[in-house]
Amino acid sequence: MKGCLFNIDGGYLEGLCRGFKCGILKQADYLNLVQCETLEDLKLHLQGTDYGAFLANEPSPLAVSTIDDKLREKLVIEFQHLRNHAVEPLSTFLDFITYSYMIDNIILLITGTLHQRPISELIPKCHPLGSFEQMEAIHVAATPAELYNAVLVDTPLAPFFVDCISEQDLDEMNIEIIRNTLYKAYLEAFFSFCKDIGGTTADCMCEILAFEADRRAIIITINSFGTELSKDDRAKLYPRCGKLNPDGLAALARAEDYDQVKAVAEYYAEYSKLFEGAGNNPGDKTLEDKFFEHEVRLNVNAFLQQFHFGVFYSYLKLKEQECRNIVWISECVAQKHRTKIDNYIPIF
Amino acid sequence: MGAMFRSEEMVLAQLFIQPEAAYPSMSELGELGTVQFRDLNEDVNSFQRKFVNEVRRCDEMERKLRYIEAEVKKDSVPIPDVQELPKAPNPREIIDLEAHLEKTEGEIKELSESAVNMKSNYLELTELRQVLEKTQTFFVEHEETNGMDSVHRALIPEDTHNVSIRGRLGFVAGVVNRERVPAFERMLWRISRGNVFLRQAEIDKPLEDPATGNEMHKTVFVAFFQGEQLKSRIKKVCIGFHASLYPCPSSISERDEMLKGVKSRLEDLNLVLNQTEDHRQRVLISVARELQNWSVMVRKMKAIYHTMNFFNMDVTKKCLIGECWVPVKDISVVQKALTDGSNSCGSSIPSFLNVISTTENPPTFNRTNKFTRGFQNLIDSYGVASYRECNPALYTIITFPFLFAIMFGDLGHGLVLLIFGAYMCGFEKKLSAKKTDNEIWNIFFAGRYIILLMGIFSIYTGFFYNDVFSKSMNIFGSTWTEDIKSYNWTTVEMNEAMELNPTTDASAIPYPVGLDPVWQLAKNKIIFLNSYKMKLSIIFGVLHMIFGVCMSVINFVHFKKISSIFLEFLPQILFLICLFAWMVVMMFLKWVFYTAQGTDVKFGTSCAPSVLIFFINMMLFKENDAPKGCDVYMFDFQPILQKILVFIALLCIPIMLLGKPIFVMISRKFSKKHCHSNGDINQGMELQPEVVEEPKQLEGHNEHEEEPMGEIFIHQAIHTIEYVLSTVSHTASYLRLWALSLAHAQLSEVLWNMVLKMGLSDPSFVGSIKLYIVFAFWSVLTLGVLVMMEGLSAFLHTLRLHWVEFMSKFYAGLGYPFQPFSFKIILEEDDNEED
Repeated sequence: MKGCLFNIDGGYLEGLCRGFKCGILKQADYLNLVQCETLEDLKLHLQGTDYGAFLANEPSPLAVSTIDDKLREKLVIEFQHLRNHAVEPLSTFLDFITYSYMIDNIILLITGTLHQRPISELIPKCHPLGSFEQMEAIHVAATPAELYNAVLVDTPLAPFFVDCISEQDLDEMNIEIIRNTLYKAYLEAFFSFCKDIGGTTADCMCEILAFEADRRAIIITINSFGTELSKDDRAKLYPRCGKLNPDGLAALARAEDYDQVKAVAEYYAEYSKLFEGAGNNPGDKTLEDKFFEHEVRLNVNAFLQQFHFGVFYSYLKLKEQECRNIVWISECVAQKHRTKIDNYIPIF
Repeated sequence: MGAMFRSEEMVLAQLFIQPEAAYPSMSELGELGTVQFRDLNEDVNSFQRKFVNEVRRCDEMERKLRYIEAEVKKDSVPIPDVQELPKAPNPREIIDLEAHLEKTEGEIKELSESAVNMKSNYLELTELRQVLEKTQTFFVEHEETNGMDSVHRALIPEDTHNVSIRGRLGFVAGVVNRERVPAFERMLWRISRGNVFLRQAEIDKPLEDPATGNEMHKTVFVAFFQGEQLKSRIKKVCIGFHASLYPCPSSISERDEMLKGVKSRLEDLNLVLNQTEDHRQRVLISVARELQNWSVMVRKMKAIYHTMNFFNMDVTKKCLIGECWVPVKDISVVQKALTDGSNSCGSSIPSFLNVISTTENPPTFNRTNKFTRGFQNLIDSYGVASYRECNPALYTIITFPFLFAIMFGDLGHGLVLLIFGAYMCGFEKKLSAKKTDNEIWNIFFAGRYIILLMGIFSIYTGFFYNDVFSKSMNIFGSTWTEDIKSYNWTTVEMNEAMELNPTTDASAIPYPVGLDPVWQLAKNKIIFLNSYKMKLSIIFGVLHMIFGVCMSVINFVHFKKISSIFLEFLPQILFLICLFAWMVVMMFLKWVFYTAQGTDVKFGTSCAPSVLIFFINMMLFKENDAPKGCDVYMFDFQPILQKILVFIALLCIPIMLLGKPIFVMISRKFSKKHCHSNGDINQGMELQPEVVEEPKQLEGHNEHEEEPMGEIFIHQAIHTIEYVLSTVSHTASYLRLWALSLAHAQLSEVLWNMVLKMGLSDPSFVGSIKLYIVFAFWSVLTLGVLVMMEGLSAFLHTLRLHWVEFMSKFYAGLGYPFQPFSFKIILEEDDNEED
C-alpha cells in the first residue's frame, strides 16, 4: 500500500534514480582506470562505462579540469532532470539538497571578493546546483546585515541566516563562522524536515544527516585548535541533530587537543572505529578519508530500502564521491604520481 | 534455394597477415562482409591493445567531423547524400584526410569566432540604439514632470535647467534580460532602500545571442539615483545581473547625434556581417558536399582498427594472426581479398589463410535475399538455428501464408493486402531510400514479401470459400435444385430464411471449384461451414505436424544419429499416424461413403457417424452405439483395425520413453568394455592420447563430458510426456484455423449487413447520399478492423502455429548468429543510432 501511494508521485523518479545508480563505477572499473597511462586512456575506458561519450567532443590534449567540469555537468544535468519532474514533497526535499551548495557558493564568493578577485572569475568556480538569481550581485554587500537585507532575503537561505546578522564585518574568521552557523541551521532544518516526512525517508535520511552533523562538529573542533575561536563560540557552531548531541557535544566543547576529541569519540562505537585507523603518517588514511568512507557506506545502505527519498540524496553524494575519485585518479595520472593513486574510495 | 535448406558450412580459419598488409586486407574484407573475427585479446584492456592509437586518431577525426556537421546544420546547409560510398582510405590518404579535417575545422572555427565577435559587436550596437531610442521617452517624461513642478518652466533657459537636474540626479542606462527584470528591480530597491527610480521598456524584437544563436528577449532600463556611492553599488548589481550598461548622454542633441552615429555604424556592420555570412555559407556548402564521404571513410577506418585490435602479434612480430569464421563457399573470395590487400601495399610476402579444425560450434549463417529475409527473421526471432540444422524458414515461405490465408480467407480483404504488399515491393527501392523512424512502417516494410504472399494466398482461399467482403460470386452457376439454379433476383428477395436440404435440393454434380454460392443465402450455412472448416483445419494440422516430425529425420541423418531414427522418429511418427492420421482418414471415409441422396439407408444422412465420437471410443476401447437400422462401423474390419492402431500407438510410448536411454547405456558400456579388453592392442593406445590432447576451447560448446544416466532418463521422460500430450493439444490447437476463419467471415458479414446494407437498401435519391457516408464508415472499418486487426491476429496465430506446433517437432534453435565484419552493417547501425 505504501509503495502504491509512493509510486504515484515518486515511483518514476525513484526508478530513474536507481537506474542512474547502476551506472556508478564498480571496483573492476577502478582497477582498470588505475592502470591508465595517460588521460586519453582514461577517456577511452570511461567511454565503455555509463559515462559514454561525455568527453567525445573535447579536443586533445585533455586537462583534468575539463574532466572535472564534464563530470560535474553530467551529474548536474541528471539531478536537474530529477528536480524538474519532482512534485511536493520530493521537490522541497531536492531543493534542500541544493541549499548546501548555495551556502558553499555564497561563502566562496564572499571570500573571493574579500581577496579582491573579480566576480567574473569566481562565478565559474561556483557549483551549478547552488546557483541562484541574486548570486552574482553578492559583492554589493559589505556587512552580514547588508548581505542579508540585499541579497539573501529573497533566497531560501534567509531563515538560516538570521543568526549571523549580528556579526560585525566580513573578515576571514567571521566568514568561517557564518558558514558554520549557516550549515548548522541548514542541517537542523533539513533534519527536522526529514523527520516530518517520516517513514522510511526519516529512518534513512536522519541517519545520514546525523552523521553529517557529527562530522561537522568533530571537524570544527579539530580545526579550531590554535585559533582565536573561543570555546563558547565553538559550541554555538555545533549542529545539534547528531548522535553526539547533547553529551558528546558538551564534551567536545571542552576538548583542547586531538586526543581529547578522540577520547570523546571512544564513547560512540561507529566513530571510535573511524578514529582508530586514522593517522597522518604516510600509508595511513586520513580522518577525512575515513569519514568519506563511512559516508559512502551509509549512502549505499540507503539503496537497500524502497519507497523513500533518501536514494536521491545518496545518489548525489555517491556520484560526487565518484567524481572526486575520477578526478583524483586523473590527477595522479596526469602528474605521473602513481604511488598514491589507490587512495580513491571505492563505492561498490 | 539450396542455401535455405540448412545454414552454411563454416570453418574456423587463421589469418597470417603482414602488419603492413593488414590494413588494406581488412579494408577488402570489410567491403566483402563475409568474415566474422574472434576477439583473441578478450582479457586485454581496451586501452592496452595494439592499435589503440589509431582508434584514438579516428575518434579525434570523428570529433572534428561532428563539430563541422554541427556547424553545417546550424546554418541549415543541406548535406547531400552520397550515392557511392567511398572505400576506406589507405594510410597515406589518412594523413591527408587528417590534415584536411584539421584545416577545415580551423577555418570554420576562425570564421565562427569572427562571426561571434562581429555579432556581439552588432548586438551591442543594437542595444545601444534601443537604449537611446527608448530612453528618449523617459527623459521627455522626466523633464515634463520636472517642468510641471516648476511654475517658471518657460522662464528658465533650457540648458541651465538641464544642468540643474543632472546635477541632482545621476542615472545609468542599459539593457537586461527580460526574465531577470523583477529580481533586478527588487535588488535595486533593496540596496538603495527605495531610493532608486527605475524606468523600463521592453525591446519588441528578440535579439540574437551571438554565441548560440538563440533568441533573447531584453528590456531597456534607466535607473535614476542620487550620489556617487549608490552609483557604484548599482553598477555592481548591474554586473551581477549581466546587464550591459551603455553611455547615454544627458542632453537631447547629444543623444540624437549619438543615435545617428550608431545607426550609420550599424549599417556598415550589417554590410560586413552579410559578407562574412556569405563567405561562411560558401565554405560550409563546399564542406557539406564532402562531409558524408569523410564520415563514411573515418567510420570505416575506425572499424578496421577495431577489428585489428582483435588480432594477435606473433612472437617474432613479423605478422599478425587473426582467427575468423568463414563460410566454406567464400574461402576463395576471402583469399582473393587477402592477396588484393597485400598486393595493394606492395608487400612481397603474401598473407595466407589456414583452415584449422575445432570442436567449437560454428555460428549459423543463412544466406538470404530480400525475399527470404523476412521469413528467416520469423524463424530467427524464435531462436537461431543450431549449426547446420534443418532450416524451417524454407517451408515457412509457403506454409506461413497458406495457414494465414485459411484464417483470413476473403478475396476482397486479400486483394487489399495484395495491393499493399505489391505497392511496397514495387516501389521498394524508392521506399527503402527514404529512411524513417516510424517503427510500425519499418516492420511492415521489412515483411513486405510476407504481406504480398499472404495477400495472394488469401485471394486463393477466399476464392475457395467463395467470400468477397462476405458476398459470394456465382461464376459457374449454382448446382442446387432447379428453382434455385436460376438464382436470380427473386431467389434472393423471396428466400428470407432459405434452408438448403441436401437430400432434396442438391444436384448430382457439385459446384466445380470452391463453395456453392447458394450457401450464402442459406440459413444453415454456419452449420455446414463449421463442419467443413473444422475438418479442414484438423486435416491441415495433422499434415503439418507429420511433416514437422519427418523433418527430424533429415536432422538425424545429417548429424549421423541413425539410432535416433528408430528410437525417436519412428515411434513418434507411428504414434501420430496411428491416432490422428487415422482420424483424418475417417473424415475422408465419411465424405466418400455417406451421401444424402443415396438409396442405401445405411449410408444415408441419418446413419452418418460422428468422427470425434468414433475417435474417443477408439481410445477408450468402447463400443459405439448406432441408431436403428444403421451399421455401427463404416466397414467391417474397422474395429479390428482400430484396435491394432491403438496398440501400435501405445507400444510406441515405452520405446520413446526408454529406447534412447537404454541405447546410450548399452553403447557406453560397450565402448568401455572395448577399451578395457583391447587395452594392450595398438588401437587402444591410439585412442587414448587423442582424448588427452583435446584442445582447450574458450567456449564450452563441446559436449564431451558425459551426462549422467539419471539425467538422460529424466530428460527422455520429459520429452516423451511432452510429445504425447502435445499431439493432442497441438491437434486441438490447429482448430484455431477454423475459429479465426469463422470469426473473420462472421465479422465481415455483420459489417456488411449492419453498415453497408443501410446505404444500399434505400433506392431513393437520399439513399445515394446515405450510401456515400455509409460507405466511408464501411471501408474504414473494413480496413481498420478486418484487414489490419484481424490480419494481425491471424498473423500472430500463424506465427504460433509455426513456432510451437510445427517447429517443436524438430527444431532445436540453439545456435548463435553469424555476425560478419562488414562495413555495410556497421554504417547502417551507426545511422540507426543517430536517428
